Amino acid sequence: MADVETIERVREIEVDKYKYGFETELESELAPKGLNEDIVKFISAKKGEPDWMLEWRLEAYARWRQMTEPTWAKVDYPKIDFEDLYYYAAPKVQGDGPKSLDEVDPELLRTYEKLGIPLKEQEVLAGVEGARVAVDAVFDSVSVVTTFKEELAKAGVIFCPISEAVREHPELVKKYLGSVVPQADNFYAALNSAVFSDGSFVYIPEGVRCPMELSTYFRINEKNTGQFERTLIIADKGSYVSYLEGCTAPMRDENQLHAAVVELVALDDAEIKYSTVQNWYPGDSEGKGGIYNFVTKRADCRGHHSKVSWTQVETGSAITWKYPSCILRGDNSRGEFYSIAISNGKQQVDSGTKMIHLGKNSSSRIISKGIAAGRSDNTYRGLVSAHRKATNARNFTQCDSLLIGDRCGAHTVPYIEAKTSTAQFEHEATTSKISDDQMFYCQARGLNEEEAVALIVNGFVRDVIQQLPMEFMAETQRLIGISLEGSVG
Amino acid sequence: MAIATQKTAAETAYLEGFDAGGDWLAAERQKGFDAFAVTGLPHRRMEDWKWTDLRQLIGKAYPPAKGGAVGDIDALAAKCPLKDIARGHLTFVNGEYDAGRSQLPASGDVEVTALSTASSALPIGETAADPIDGLNRAYVTDGAFIRIKAGSNADAPLELVFINSSRAEATFTTRNVIELEDGASATVFETHMGGHDAYVSNSVTEVRLGNGARLDRVKLQMEGAASYHLSNLKADLGAEAKLQDFTLTMGSATTRQQGFITFNGEHTDATVSGAFLLNRKQHNDTRLVVDHKVPNCVSRELFKCVMDDEARGIFQGKVIVRQDAQKTDGKQSSHALLLSPTAEFDAKPELEIYADDVVCGHGATSGDLDENLLFYLRARGIPEKKAKSMLISAFVAESFDDVDNEAVRDVLKDLADSWLAAR
Repeated sequence: MADVETIERVREIEVDKYKYGFETELESELAPKGLNEDIVKFISAKKGEPDWMLEWRLEAYARWRQMTEPTWAKVDYPKIDFEDLYYYAAPKVQGDGPKSLDEVDPELLRTYEKLGIPLKEQEVLAGVEGARVAVDAVFDSVSVVTTFKEELAKAGVIFCPISEAVREHPELVKKYLGSVVPQADNFYAALNSAVFSDGSFVYIPEGVRCPMELSTYFRINEKNTGQFERTLIIADKGSYVSYLEGCTAPMRDENQLHAAVVELVALDDAEIKYSTVQNWYPGDSEGKGGIYNFVTKRADCRGHHSKVSWTQVETGSAITWKYPSCILRGDNSRGEFYSIAISNGKQQVDSGTKMIHLGKNSSSRIISKGIAAGRSDNTYRGLVSAHRKATNARNFTQCDSLLIGDRCGAHTVPYIEAKTSTAQFEHEATTSKISDDQMFYCQARGLNEEEAVALIVNGFVRDVIQQLPMEFMAETQRLIGISLEGSVG
Repeated sequence: MAIATQKTAAETAYLEGFDAGGDWLAAERQKGFDAFAVTGLPHRRMEDWKWTDLRQLIGKAYPPAKGGAVGDIDALAAKCPLKDIARGHLTFVNGEYDAGRSQLPASGDVEVTALSTASSALPIGETAADPIDGLNRAYVTDGAFIRIKAGSNADAPLELVFINSSRAEATFTTRNVIELEDGASATVFETHMGGHDAYVSNSVTEVRLGNGARLDRVKLQMEGAASYHLSNLKADLGAEAKLQDFTLTMGSATTRQQGFITFNGEHTDATVSGAFLLNRKQHNDTRLVVDHKVPNCVSRELFKCVMDDEARGIFQGKVIVRQDAQKTDGKQSSHALLLSPTAEFDAKPELEIYADDVVCGHGATSGDLDENLLFYLRARGIPEKKAKSMLISAFVAESFDDVDNEAVRDVLKDLADSWLAAR
């Protein structure tokens, strides 16, 4: 029953429709352009935040002022004018639904049609698998609706917008916010700390296995609004949670900045599984108008035997700058990173992970599959390090790159730092192309060139796809095919 | 990135000690000095130097110098492990050509000259945007110039010996040029030996291979225990050429060795390999940049690194495959064996690929001795120390296989074994 309710509730807010590239006309309340202390105060006041939160933001703002944009990533884009952005936009009232599909760029529509409508898929999956997905839908910056709260509350799980958590659960927020990604961690994290608009807060109490997959749909909606999401997930001792994040964005001319921060804390014996499918607007064939995705994601495996698993499928955005990391602090803790990064057109991806081994017997595994097509650049950048006290640390890394076409680039920049002899690190990387034999085999069996490429690529990334939750697997396979359209022939 | 403005003692000594001189090298020295004056010593804020901060590591002033050797140079010369295999020798003591300890081969096809004895200008390569090259160019005092005429070979190995020994803090700078014309071949050894006191040795070797040329180069780095060894290998390879390069690093407190290998002609094959045998607080950072500019070339890199005590080994390898370089086959591996809990290994094996029809890969591993292998040997009655030595020796020896000359391989094995015996 509850499943049907969710689906209807989601349908009410038309959360699926934005997949088609609308700008939902919600009446926005905008803060003036630019960033200064007053804007930070304005955002904080809008959210009715307590004084400590405002001070925290101001502190971050002061630090951000002194920082400069990082330039080490292998990406190239015009300089961002941070004074020319809106830092706050909130829907005044719930929108009464988008207008008809006719207004939408048919090219984008076609893409989403091919991709399948996630809502329907959810219906099917809910019926067949009995899976339930709670949706904390984020319209621009403010969480408009949160479903399934009650059932989660029964299990003691707190799943709410972070702005609500600041008010309702200040002790938890105070204790954990910024404890994994400090305010001044890096340029974009500092910016986010100062102006973060909203995001999700999850707390799984001791010994609880979260009864459902938690999911958030992010969207970028208001024109010229940077999105500054802040997610904080805490898995208390012996708990388990799986969190899904899926992203889409409407067609847009101007580049949009997205600087999110995700913090995960896993205490003793806890496990967090965080999955992302990111297919934000990558820009047109000339690379114009795509999203700038500068994200800081980090997990702290604080407790012994804790485990964090990152799975990501990156197909969108003009520029991706993202390194989901694990600090393996607890003894016997484990970090995993499974990634598929596909770039086509003029996309630029610089993504990877950091596995920082501090605890004894900590282990990590990195499987990264990069696919570059068109005129894109796809870089894997990663760090595996073992502290002197991290005895018996283990790492296995495999990064494979596939090049489609002779105008793209695939790069691998791994850093390995072993400060103890008992650490066993293995790193392997390969770069290749789809062989003519493979293509011939598929085409001889009646597949056209594009289908053959999609099939072969899906095989190439299989190790990672298998790590995705059920809800994402089918969608992702189609997404891969669509992302590579136009890359052959 | 903001560059520190405060000059270190070492930088000041370099900047103040400059004298272009009046010989044919004056213009080159000026170029090098101008380049160095801009960059200064590299530091950790520079990506390629993040693990080797020379500004910090070279704590004192080491003014550029030449000659004035102290100590028993003959003893050091006698210890050169490859001296009996080589058929010709060029010896440089404290950056100065030592005619008495040199025997030049007498063949018209093989031209061997010390830079200081050249009456007219010799072709020194283009200035590179690299701090070691800048310093080297500015302060070069001597070095070997070897040119093999087209089609002839100098397979009888030629040894370049560099002996540095100085009581006063000083920097000794040598630069070698090895030019093989089309179809020529040669074997060249480089042996770097040094005394106990601290000094800086800066040595650059330029290699130019014509079409179909082949060079086998073996470098032994056995500098003094307190010294700094900074060196570059810059190799430009023609079509259907072959470069076989091997470096064994045992000496110096701080070593930074760089290799810049560029493929300019198709169907060329380059193997660059090496081994590190480090202990105490030795620090060795090897950086290799292999640039595939043209199609159909093969590059192989294999580094076997053994670190004991508090030693730190670093391997930074980068393979670039340009858009035109289809059918490139590039493999790079670095393997580290850490023998003490306080030893460290850092690696950055990088691929930068712009062509799609290529096969490229790298592998990097780090760890201590395999317990199972050790158990296997001990179960067969081999004492622990001996069993460990066998395993370490086998680990290092894999890299020696890239050296074709059997006599040289035996010398390398003996060097590894004596290092192990001293553990």
